[in-house]
Amino acid sequence: MSVHTPTADKPLPDFDIVSTYRSILAGDAELTMPVAAIEALVEAIAHSSVSTVAETLALLEHHTAVLKAEIANPISLSAGTDLFQRYLITTLNRPAALNLAPGDDFRAIRNHLLSNGRLFVDRAKQSREKIASFGKHFIRDGATVLTNGGSRVVGALLRRAAESSTMRFRVVYVLSGSESSDTIEGDQIVADLRAHNVPVATVPDSAVAYSLGEVDMVIVGAEGVVENGGIISRLGTYQMGLLAKSKGKPFYVVAESHKFVRLYPLSQFDLPIEQKVLEFRVADDTKGTASKPSEDEGFFDMHGAKPKCSGVNAHDAVDFTPPDLISGIITESGVLTPSAVSEELIKIWF
Amino acid sequence: MSGPVEGEAAAPPAVTPQAPNDPAAPAKTDPKETKPADDGASKKPSGAELKKLKQLEKQAKRAQAKAIVPPATQQGGPPKENQKQREQKQSQKKDESRPLPIRRRPSQSNAVPQQQAKKESTRGQKNLGLFFGHLYSQPRQHSMVGASKDVHPAVLALGLQYSSYVICGSTARMVAMLLAFKAVIESYQTPVGTSLARHLTNHHLSPQIDYLRSCRPLSISMGNAIRWLKDLIIKIDPSTPEAEAKRDLVEEIDMFIRERVTAAQKLIRDQAATKILPGDVILTYASSSIVEQTLLQAHKAGVPFTVIVVDSKPLFEGKTLARKLANQGITVRYYLITGASHAVKDASKVFLGAHAMMSNGRLYSRVGTALVSMLARSHSLPVLVLCESVKFTEKVALDSIVGNEVAPASEILSEAERASLLPLEPHLPATHPSKNKAEDKHAADDAKSGPLDVIKWVEGSDNLHHLQVLYDVTPAEYINMVITEYGSLPPSSVPVVHRLSTNT
Repeated sequence: MSVHTPTADKPLPDFDIVSTYRSILAGDAELTMPVAAIEALVEAIAHSSVSTVAETLALLEHHTAVLKAEIANPISLSAGTDLFQRYLITTLNRPAALNLAPGDDFRAIRNHLLSNGRLFVDRAKQSREKIASFGKHFIRDGATVLTNGGSRVVGALLRRAAESSTMRFRVVYVLSGSESSDTIEGDQIVADLRAHNVPVATVPDSAVAYSLGEVDMVIVGAEGVVENGGIISRLGTYQMGLLAKSKGKPFYVVAESHKFVRLYPLSQFDLPIEQKVLEFRVADDTKGTASKPSEDEGFFDMHGAKPKCSGVNAHDAVDFTPPDLISGIITESGVLTPSAVSEELIKIWF
Repeated sequence: MSGPVEGEAAAPPAVTPQAPNDPAAPAKTDPKETKPADDGASKKPSGAELKKLKQLEKQAKRAQAKAIVPPATQQGGPPKENQKQREQKQSQKKDESRPLPIRRRPSQSNAVPQQQAKKESTRGQKNLGLFFGHLYSQPRQHSMVGASKDVHPAVLALGLQYSSYVICGSTARMVAMLLAFKAVIESYQTPVGTSLARHLTNHHLSPQIDYLRSCRPLSISMGNAIRWLKDLIIKIDPSTPEAEAKRDLVEEIDMFIRERVTAAQKLIRDQAATKILPGDVILTYASSSIVEQTLLQAHKAGVPFTVIVVDSKPLFEGKTLARKLANQGITVRYYLITGASHAVKDASKVFLGAHAMMSNGRLYSRVGTALVSMLARSHSLPVLVLCESVKFTEKVALDSIVGNEVAPASEILSEAERASLLPLEPHLPATHPSKNKAEDKHAADDAKSGPLDVIKWVEGSDNLHHLQVLYDVTPAEYINMVITEYGSLPPSSVPVVHRLSTNT
């Protein structure tokens, strides 16, 4: 709360959205990025002294922009901020819906917003458990499940399945050797599952095709579900999808519906973030040439990519899995086909 | 309709199988079939006795003609149909008597319009093999002859512009129609004893629409706009003063055009232009105004990209697009569809316009689009369709056969191509009707057969058909993205947006 954002025209309160966001995210291990973003925005409104609708929206827009600029991969985060913004606009434009008398001042509207905003966050947190209870029925007795990354929803689902005594299943867990937060999360899930007597095998990315013969289904998490029903997820998910499709294994995505993001990538290189995955170099050329879109995906460079504000290095890189590889998306509002995602998004936005 | 016509018909050898095309055709109609108007016409100058005489003459001639006509031409087509066709020809004949200035289609030569319509009616007699016979039900009209007297002059003019492709493209046709309807509404006066809401749609607007449909089948967007307009008119409170109601309607039409077309196109091109990245090679097929706007907008924004225009017979709409883009400084390559497989290799994205988007996510667009998108798919190029939501329809299409538009087949052969086929004339089979005719001509006035006769060769032959469909259906799997004013969608979301745009 120390950094004053110098804006020329509008005097905005000195509220550091980024550090708030980071502290919220760090404070609660169960929180996902979009929810943390929403919580930070609610906090921002609570700390401000806005008194009109226009001011509220301007404040929100400003904070959203700051947040998006500061975070390296704002795709998942923007799902939350967009959703919140949309929610605010619809409620602010229809004050009648809030059961407020026309005489009520803006303060009442604001209080309503704040309490509802918190409700929103609570609901989003609960959705993970709901998904787990939906999704566990997808795992049949005797099945072998392939998964990757450190998705907490997938972890919750597998744990829930493990707790039920009627199901025996095995898990093949793809873990990359790097020291990313994903891996730490993944290790945690693996340990938990093993504690629940679920046999787990951990394999590297390169062993996906090899182990697919033993696998009955693939379950993955997602950072964002995009408009065409594809997902943006940890690097390596796309190849898992391709391989699963080629072997005819069902490929399920587990994601809360607040991860639905209004984005429509056409290809891997059409994402609104800069990723340092493809870096072409020759000997004694220290400054790698800028990544150039190429058909060849298999090459990525692990070292030398300094973590910068813009640009995501290879550990945290994401890829885009197109909808035709996905069998179903398990959300808290039900199991959707990829094509239903766009319908859900349209419902939210119009 | 008297002396000289009769005289011409009296020359018996001239009454060949092509006789129905002959100006003497009405002379052969039954007295019962003869329209009262014709009776009146012959009555006026001559009187009752003269008329009787003529009828006798006619009957004699008819018997003669029947004896000459070989049975081959009578094949197919039940007698009832023949009768209908004769009636049509009759109206066409009237047309000849006072020729109208008509704008020509590119492939058309001077004398074509009347003949074309005739040909289309003879088409019905032929066994139209393949699957497309059902599309020939309504002959296309290229003149305003036979139009109902209620048809407004603005609509008459518009119809001719439709049939000659002067106004072409789904959106342009819809906008032009609405603008014409504005004039119709402005000059409309509710008759005594009825209300505007009840009279205008059924009795005044319907003839206009029927006439437009006879010039060229209505586009999906036109259908949507008509439905919207009718709905609007029906909902007018009968107590509203007429002047006010008319003013409201005109305003609503303006608003509709502004919201559903002008603003929608702006949103679409803004969004689509962001999909053009530096270094892209954009492939497009034929010509779509919204694709053109998008490309120009991206070019003005300074994005370096090139364009490949793939084009095809018979309208060659891509030529215009390529010229416009090139004039604006964009590097353009122009291919015909025969070279599409090469064009696709160099492209990085495909932008397509639409005639309509079906509810099962399929794209109904200029014939050839499906081919291009299939090639693009096989090269895993993203295919983007740019389409205003006013072109969405609740209809579904599984193939391009059930619903399509057939254009006059003669447009397939351009003037030059016809001329180049002329030297083949000696190879025509001796029994070929047009051959006989050509000989007759030689004998009669030593006329040389012109390019027009080539069409007749095809028309006259029993086992060669021209088929020119204007649209095809692209499966939803080949389409990656549909950009509308509601945002980018997968093709599967078309029905959702259609519902959204029609309910609100």
